Amino acid sequence: MSDTSMNVNPGETQQVVFNGKAGEWFGIWIVNLLLSIVTIGIYSAWAKVRTKKYFYNNTFIAGRNFDYHATGKQILIGRIIVIVGFIAFTLLSAIPFVNIIMFLALFAALPWLIVKSLQFNARQSSFSNVRFNFTGKMGRAFVVYVLLPIVLYIAIVAVGAGGGFLAGQTGSVALGALAAVAVLVILLFAIPIVDRAIKRYVINHHWLGKAAFSFDAGLSPFVKALSLALAWIVLVVLVSGVLFGASFASLADMFVSLDAGGEPTPGQLGLIGLIYLLFFVAFLPAGFIYQALIRNVMYDNTQLDGGHKFRSTVKVGKLMWIAISNAFVVAISIGLMLPWAQIRMQSYLASQTFVIPGSSLDDFIGEQQAAGNAIGDAYGDLEGVDFGVGI
Amino acid sequence: MATDPYARFGLTLRGWAFPGGSSRKVPAKLVTRAPLDGRGDAPFVDIVDEADRVIAAAQFDEITIDPPLGRSPRRMHFPDEAMFETEDHDGVRSLTGQTRGDLLSSYEAFRPRLVAVIAALAVCCWVLWRYGLDLMVTAAIALTPAGLLGYMDQGTLQTIDLTMADDTELDDAERDRVRQIFSTLLAELPASKINDRDFKLLFRNMERIGPNAFAMPGGTIVMTDQFVEKFPQEDVLAGVLGHEIGHVVESHGLRQTYRSLGMYFLIGFLAGDTGPIIDEILLEGNLLLSLQFSRKHEASADEFGVKLTADAGYDPAGLQMFFREIAKGGLTPPEWLSTHPSSEERVEQIEGYIDALD
Repeated sequence: MSDTSMNVNPGETQQVVFNGKAGEWFGIWIVNLLLSIVTIGIYSAWAKVRTKKYFYNNTFIAGRNFDYHATGKQILIGRIIVIVGFIAFTLLSAIPFVNIIMFLALFAALPWLIVKSLQFNARQSSFSNVRFNFTGKMGRAFVVYVLLPIVLYIAIVAVGAGGGFLAGQTGSVALGALAAVAVLVILLFAIPIVDRAIKRYVINHHWLGKAAFSFDAGLSPFVKALSLALAWIVLVVLVSGVLFGASFASLADMFVSLDAGGEPTPGQLGLIGLIYLLFFVAFLPAGFIYQALIRNVMYDNTQLDGGHKFRSTVKVGKLMWIAISNAFVVAISIGLMLPWAQIRMQSYLASQTFVIPGSSLDDFIGEQQAAGNAIGDAYGDLEGVDFGVGI
Repeated sequence: MATDPYARFGLTLRGWAFPGGSSRKVPAKLVTRAPLDGRGDAPFVDIVDEADRVIAAAQFDEITIDPPLGRSPRRMHFPDEAMFETEDHDGVRSLTGQTRGDLLSSYEAFRPRLVAVIAALAVCCWVLWRYGLDLMVTAAIALTPAGLLGYMDQGTLQTIDLTMADDTELDDAERDRVRQIFSTLLAELPASKINDRDFKLLFRNMERIGPNAFAMPGGTIVMTDQFVEKFPQEDVLAGVLGHEIGHVVESHGLRQTYRSLGMYFLIGFLAGDTGPIIDEILLEGNLLLSLQFSRKHEASADEFGVKLTADAGYDPAGLQMFFREIAKGGLTPPEWLSTHPSSEERVEQIEGYIDALD
């Protein structure tokens, strides 16, 4: 690291550099797993800290790296509370009436968990010795994570069911087709609306010390990304319909014969396997198309006080290739190549991410905040969801 | 003059200082010197910039040194938020001596001996799955209040009534006859095994389910009308009721619930470390393997039922008679895919339990 590497000229694009090495990360990862198992999961809290620290420490912008400051003890306490709560929830959910209250309570608790999780993660992360912060409010979290999705879901169901009912009553095929198109159109806007609302909420309430992040983008890039993803699914369905349509029709016979107590033939089982395969071919790439395009939109439209801008140039094809070949290698190595796959993905994402500083990176003013508890973070870990924006 | 076990005085480490309060990063050195008299034997540590101006200073035991992690730069946090970062790993080690973090880091190093770690991991997974979870489940059961179980039974019963059961159509005399057998069996149950469970026998008309009986964790046992109609013999009724009482006494239902919850937590919190595909394989594989426990529980309840019915003066071959009838019934799934052992096998096993009675 030379003296000049950390003093940047404003406007000079800086590539994000990831220095993680597969062999080194493998050693840390496998020891993490062993100690977690030996301690019946207790060490997993410390393993999480080591994992995050490894990836943060090895990510550099202009010679400065990130750090993660949570302690294993904090994470463990959060996890224990979530486990006790989860067991209580499971047992109490079996009791009549109490289960309804429990269900409503979880709904009410969700925004709290999300805000606490985002807050904890931001305040325990730092760049160049300055902590991040998150200042989003629970009311707004309730709107973007709970209310908005429910309202749009109800709208879709109402239009779909209403149109279907009318079509059934009048026997009009045109009306049915109209309802189907209406559902598709609402869907095409509903997902972008929710997704953009979440990204606005998360990014616009994040800070690096006293510098605020801000993000705004029109709806159209979101709709465009989703359209491309849906177009891929439609394409797969059409192509497979042309290629295998006749064979699929024979599956209807199979269900008839199964009802009569018959056994499926190997050919029919093969067809069912093919349907599973087509399902993956349709939906996995669609997910990557959307993710890659939205990541670029997100970075390109985010700013940080001080005139700092961001840029992401992830390519759909390349991301898909890395993700699919990673999954293949991990599967045939019974998981042992996972660290290699993670390093490979992270290196690619870093290589396509840029910061265009508007001023000196020395000038971020730090601000210490109490990080709060790790309950929301533990809940997110357990359910396997990331409440953030998934950088 | 204090002694210095690690030669920690007079060290100079080159690196970078973050003076604190901002993101400013400057080239700097960390220098150590002997403490003033009467200030213990830990060194005094200064961060100085290139012009030898002191940026921060502290006693060695006031600074926090992050444990080593691969080749990542080492960081030292001073009480006033100043931070020193260096890539001089050996230098930091001579300052701290051999710490637990260094030991961990040396085990993590990418060397052939990691193969031993992989092997140990496989063994530990098996031991945990086979024995460790059982210990935790037993502890969880001991901690579960018995009153709660009664409420859970009510909830389950409500769901059954709502979805698949009608009121019983058996006449009073018939129900009383079965209840009599039930209380005869319960009378033989030692107080130590009742465990605050509230044993209750209920009847339901369940045409789609057919002749069957099942037990809930709190002690509620449901028998279908179809069962009493198809197997009116007292010995068969006693055998099956004894089997269900066995499930309650040995907390089989609760065990399976806690076991799957335990696996869910473990896999959930390790998922970040296993990746999405292995995560799925673990969850599905666990489901398949946990059927083994379900089969073990069935066999165990058979054994318990045989003993209880014999103690209560019924013919323990009644349960066997029931399974012989079931075995005639035709299709059964392959055993590894089933929650219950095959009926033929159970007939044979019960033979063994009966022989063991004398």
